[in-house]
Amino acid sequence: MMIRIFLAALTAWTMGTGAALAEPGPPLDPAEAFVLTITPAPSGDLQVSWNVQPGYYLYRSKIAAEAPNGTSLPLTLPDGEVYDDPWLGRDEIYRTPVAITIPDPQGPTVLHWQGCQQDGICYAPQQAVLEVDGTIRAEEAVEDDPFGSWQADGDVAQSSGPSADDANTSARAGLTLAEGEGLVADLAGRGGALLVLLGFFGFGLLLSLTPCVLPMVPIVAGMLTRQGQGLTAGRGLALTGAYVIAMAAAFGLLGIVAAWSGANLQAVLQSPAAIGVIAAVFVMLALSMFGLFELQMPAAWQARLSRGTGATGSLGGAAVLGFGSALIVGPCVTAPLAGALIYIAQTGDVALGAAALFALGLGQGVPLLAVGAFGPQILPRRGAWMERVKIGFGVVFIAMAIWLAGRILPGPVVLLLWSVLLTGCGVALGALDRLAPDASRTVRAAAGTGLLLVFAGLIQGIGAAMGADDPARPLAPLADRKTQAVAEAVPFQTVTSQTALETALDGAQPALIYVTADWCVTCRAIERGPMSDPHVAAALGDLARIKVDVTDFNAEAQAVMKTLAAAGPPTMIFVDAAGTEAQGSRLIGDVDSADLLASIAQVAP
Amino acid sequence: MTLHRRALLASAGLGAALTTLGGITWALLRPPAGTDDLTIEDVLFDPDQPVLGNPQGDVTVVEFFDYQCPFCKRGHSDLMAEVEADGNVRLVMKDWPIFGGASVLASQLVLGAVEEGTYVAAQAALMATPARLSEDDVRSTLMAAGLDPAAMLAAYRQDRERWDGLMDRNSRQAAALGLQGTPAFIIGQTLLPGAPDRDRLRAAIAAARGSA
Repeated sequence: MMIRIFLAALTAWTMGTGAALAEPGPPLDPAEAFVLTITPAPSGDLQVSWNVQPGYYLYRSKIAAEAPNGTSLPLTLPDGEVYDDPWLGRDEIYRTPVAITIPDPQGPTVLHWQGCQQDGICYAPQQAVLEVDGTIRAEEAVEDDPFGSWQADGDVAQSSGPSADDANTSARAGLTLAEGEGLVADLAGRGGALLVLLGFFGFGLLLSLTPCVLPMVPIVAGMLTRQGQGLTAGRGLALTGAYVIAMAAAFGLLGIVAAWSGANLQAVLQSPAAIGVIAAVFVMLALSMFGLFELQMPAAWQARLSRGTGATGSLGGAAVLGFGSALIVGPCVTAPLAGALIYIAQTGDVALGAAALFALGLGQGVPLLAVGAFGPQILPRRGAWMERVKIGFGVVFIAMAIWLAGRILPGPVVLLLWSVLLTGCGVALGALDRLAPDASRTVRAAAGTGLLLVFAGLIQGIGAAMGADDPARPLAPLADRKTQAVAEAVPFQTVTSQTALETALDGAQPALIYVTADWCVTCRAIERGPMSDPHVAAALGDLARIKVDVTDFNAEAQAVMKTLAAAGPPTMIFVDAAGTEAQGSRLIGDVDSADLLASIAQVAP
Repeated sequence: MTLHRRALLASAGLGAALTTLGGITWALLRPPAGTDDLTIEDVLFDPDQPVLGNPQGDVTVVEFFDYQCPFCKRGHSDLMAEVEADGNVRLVMKDWPIFGGASVLASQLVLGAVEEGTYVAAQAALMATPARLSEDDVRSTLMAAGLDPAAMLAAYRQDRERWDGLMDRNSRQAAALGLQGTPAFIIGQTLLPGAPDRDRLRAAIAAARGSA
């Protein structure tokens, strides 16, 4: 950790003086300079090899192995390069990869080695404990006094030297990430790619239950109706099949883009511009639901579809429609889709990404296939009730738009929008209508509900006027004025680089590592919401809080995110006192107070 | 494209330089984890540590070294010559034996020589040897320099608590500073792994003096 700061200092210093002639570069970490690989042989032997990096060497005389009982094991070491110079003296060294065999170990074997960077530094002795199966035992905690051997009787410690490498590790902010995090990783780990695909198909089925699919129904219905009397169930199924497959393919393309783009996708999806566009699409969908216009494919596409009398032409047209429809539905399902895409981006697996999103599209299209098979007649007959349902969905779309826009608009403006929506709905439900004495129970219930909505809307309006930020607590400025102060009272240490993160983590555990960025609007929502919850704030007090600011989405920021296996902001990583991420504690995306408290509890002292 | 990349690298380097300079100062001035309130004073001004050069010098140069470390020994004459020529440098040679038994013995004997006033001579003799030393090499080198290894050992044993404590602190400081091996220099408040040549040494001392 700090080492790297110093190495960077050396680099900087070298640059400053311009004396970079034959200087060796900053020394690598010893584990990188001499990469240790253990391969168990069928005979029970362990093949041990060090990949010595160019410009580095290992001492032949410093390679040793100890049996579990402490006796030194006889090793057959290959001849090294004989080195004889006035400073090094006569010695045998390895500048190239070197391999040895530890014959059939009967228990954990301690391996020792030591080397240098040519013309740079000589590393402190390194050691590792090899289990019988060839795994390297995790570093043990540093004993309290690693130099106890010095105080032992006898002036010269006969061991291969003080275990300075142990001491070295203690100085580093060792950070172990929990494994198997994430939806895709989980599914892939349990049952391979097939389970990932099934998972996404199921996810698509769930999405088909959202009103997002609704705009596609009239498109499909229109397409089938235009087929006229010649429409058979088979023909209908083929047409909708082509439509759904094309739509799924569009989603598949999205998967490819996601897997390729990596973490950048998150940055794009979180940009105020993207959120603005998506919110606008929701408003448009809502207006369509309110009957302002009928959502239709461009006339040219429709014409192409009608023109095709032969099967091929029609199927092609259906496919074009399907592909286009995905463009409409895509933004509508953004919120749930974003999570899936981020996981795909995390895997970076283009084929898997495409297949998973294709499966999702198929799942989403299943209800449409039913329409295709049984014809539009299975759709409910249009009527007054259908209009009400549509208006209901329209309200939901508007609410989605406000919820999304809440991430980029100032708090009071959001409250004002809610106020308008609630009051409007209330009035529409008849809150302000005079009830006839003989009004039915339904009418009265609607009026009552409407009155409640108007009341809620008024409160939102009052909150907006008072400058409240949180729609869930519109009167917060009135109720307790300390809320904002609490939010400010949970300070984070902000880091932007790997080194700074390691330095910040050093000795500061348990910790919350919060990956955030200025352009991450979800992050603002989290900070304004759950993170300023007094309970969360209090619980966070027990943790070191480190903000990894990736606002400048540069190589350094991406390197830090790669280290943390974070796909993008917001990601919260909870590290326990031992420097290990608690299993299942990671929070990605929007979170609520309960999520935060649960994750904090996993690592809190 | 190339130009763009170079400009990017340069600005990244500059940024890194600025942040690291701040970071180093902070890292050195801050008590590192796992050590009880380690301060820069503890590293530069350990009361048990013999001091070379000008004890009243305005810049302190610290070297963590080992008597068998080739690059420590190769750069040693340059270091001594520069300290001598400068005249205003406090030099602190911190024993950090990482090469096993012979290195530990060499450090013990040379520290034992402090009492007799032969610390400088003993250290100079051992630093002028080739890197690889056996325990016998250590003794014979000292004898060849007209010193008495047996008396040095006795003196070390006499004051064993002091010298073992000093070496123990050295290695703890090395661990706290994240040093990977020897040589490692601290000049002023900048840490340099590896042995700088004389020009770089002079520049680092000048830089430390400038910032002091």
